[in-house]
Amino acid sequence: MNGFAKRNKKATLLWLAAVLLPLLLVVVSLNIGAYHIPLRDVWRTLTGAGGVPGAGVEAEAYRDILFRIRLPRLILALAIGAALSVSGAALQAIFRNPLVNEYILGISFGAAFGAAVSVIFLGRVFPPQPAAFLTACCAVLLVLAVAGRALAQPVSLILTGVIVSALFQALLSLAQFLANPYALQAIVFWLMGSLADAGWKDLAVSLPIMVGGTAILLLLRWRLNVLSLGDEEAKALGINVRREKLLVILAATLTTAAATAVVGVIGWVGLIVPHLVRMMAGADNRRVLPLSALFGASLMLLADDVARAATSFEIPIGILTSVVGIPFFIFLLKKSRQVWL
Amino acid sequence: MKSVQLVLPLLLVAISGQAQQPLIVKDSLGRQTEVPSVVRRVISLEPEITRIIVALGAGETLVGQDYFLRYQDHLFPVIFPAGRRLPVVSNKGQDLNHELAIRLAPDIVFSSPSETGMTESIQNKLRVPVVALASVGKVEALIAELRLAGDILGRRARAAELERFFRQKMAVVRSALDDVPAEKKPRVYLAFWGTLMRTPVIYEPVDISGGVNCAAGLLPAALGAPGTTVSAERILAWDPDIILVHGNYPPAERLVTVESILTDPRLRSLTAVREKRVHFTFGYWYWWDPAQVLLEIQYLARLFYPERFRGFDLEAEGNLIYEKFYGIKDGYTAIARILNSHEWLRETK
Repeated sequence: MNGFAKRNKKATLLWLAAVLLPLLLVVVSLNIGAYHIPLRDVWRTLTGAGGVPGAGVEAEAYRDILFRIRLPRLILALAIGAALSVSGAALQAIFRNPLVNEYILGISFGAAFGAAVSVIFLGRVFPPQPAAFLTACCAVLLVLAVAGRALAQPVSLILTGVIVSALFQALLSLAQFLANPYALQAIVFWLMGSLADAGWKDLAVSLPIMVGGTAILLLLRWRLNVLSLGDEEAKALGINVRREKLLVILAATLTTAAATAVVGVIGWVGLIVPHLVRMMAGADNRRVLPLSALFGASLMLLADDVARAATSFEIPIGILTSVVGIPFFIFLLKKSRQVWL
Repeated sequence: MKSVQLVLPLLLVAISGQAQQPLIVKDSLGRQTEVPSVVRRVISLEPEITRIIVALGAGETLVGQDYFLRYQDHLFPVIFPAGRRLPVVSNKGQDLNHELAIRLAPDIVFSSPSETGMTESIQNKLRVPVVALASVGKVEALIAELRLAGDILGRRARAAELERFFRQKMAVVRSALDDVPAEKKPRVYLAFWGTLMRTPVIYEPVDISGGVNCAAGLLPAALGAPGTTVSAERILAWDPDIILVHGNYPPAERLVTVESILTDPRLRSLTAVREKRVHFTFGYWYWWDPAQVLLEIQYLARLFYPERFRGFDLEAEGNLIYEKFYGIKDGYTAIARILNSHEWLRETK
């Protein structure tokens, strides 16, 4: 077998794994949880084949667990994993910086500040998600406004993102300081990042935004290759650099903000997954973005399975992705001895 | 919520000699501290201890008040209205204003054991004994605190009187339930701290009142954490007979309510939801108010076993307990008005 055929076979296997892994994990995830439902009954409840299992209350509990708890949670985990990973990969490409993550433009602290203000002033009258989404978007708009014409310069934009993040972090601290102890407990819980309370209501608004934003980024994947060559090269190839970068940033912002608003800050996914993919598939964004979406979805689902099944209590997934993700990332870097981009 | 693993019960290590000799006490951090034999001026940064000081009839020794009790606790003004005149000695982060504290010249400072570094820091800066105390959700530790505070403040007789009263009331509940077999005890889920998913792994009033906390033992006791997070599916797997919602919050601040649980479609198959056995209870409130937790034990016993406590009048009992502890008439009625807990009372009748 020559080198080309070998590479082709490897790529085919990688794509096969990327597609099959989330499907396999969906099946596994539907079957694990605190409430034991026999495998056969999971299938019968989902499909209605052979009649609904159990009787009365038990059948109702099976339906509620599968349709109202596990299924929305599972879909949300898949969508968030894909959204954060694709956003991270796209931003790394346009900034030509491997250390950029999906929160670099102030989204995490922007969202956290919005959620905190909502909990303090609106309490149970209104859920914190819309405010978190709006302030996350505001944070990025502020970055773009401050950066102004420096938009084309990655370092300036990243630096502005760091500054705006710091500003919203300070505002979040101020909100926490001023919050009464009752609101403060709810804010701290939100900041941990968790899918424990996920339901269809969370998906109703966030899913279309995440899917839309991710789809735009996937459609732009070949242009990201051009943008990652550098501004002059991209211009020479007929790309409107400013417009394209703006489009990527806005799509990544909407995607990440929608994910963060629903479940809180879940770190490291947008950094680790694209790196992992580049190590396996090279730096071509036409492959990196869709593979990041698939592996990101799988990683998030796997992390959520661990979060809800490893212990009898629920580990906030944001803690889990950081605690597990960082050593794993260090291991990968040590192993590869290089950063792919 | 403060969380510290404590060495319990709190011990009075040595009482050297008679009345005029200083005491050496061991606090919740295991520190041994010498305190003066006569204490006339007190600063308490731990709300639970402040309430105990008031219950011991030593409210007049307080020379300052912590931020939470002054500005954020809607219940404390009922039991100690004179607190409004005291200077506030801490900020929102519970840090002591050292200069003000020095000016107030306390003989002793009570601090929270969750702030380990703070206790030593205050002692070094103020050069007065600092004793870190909290019950961390243990009823016996609360009683030990009462006793220790009585020793420090020279109110031993009053502390002994309140301890007797507390134990008698608990004994009445326990004796009414001592023949309940373990399998007949209701399984209880507690939705605390403003979310459905946060639950205490230790909540002794439920145990004393003949219930079983579903989350008991979920975290190793060595961690000393009072609560953890669970998923909706875990609650469904437990299928509790009764759900209790943290009710000490001001009604406008409650993010979880009885109604929100009864109408949550994910929870509709739960026994507690189907049988509408979802109720507010008082819950931790910067640990406890000793009067309130004693009342809560009886309230929960009434909720769990209505047939065994048929003649029990919660409001009358509440007022009796608040009068005994704080010397105020209709104290519980005033608290109930703030918490809207008249609704809870109706459900128990």
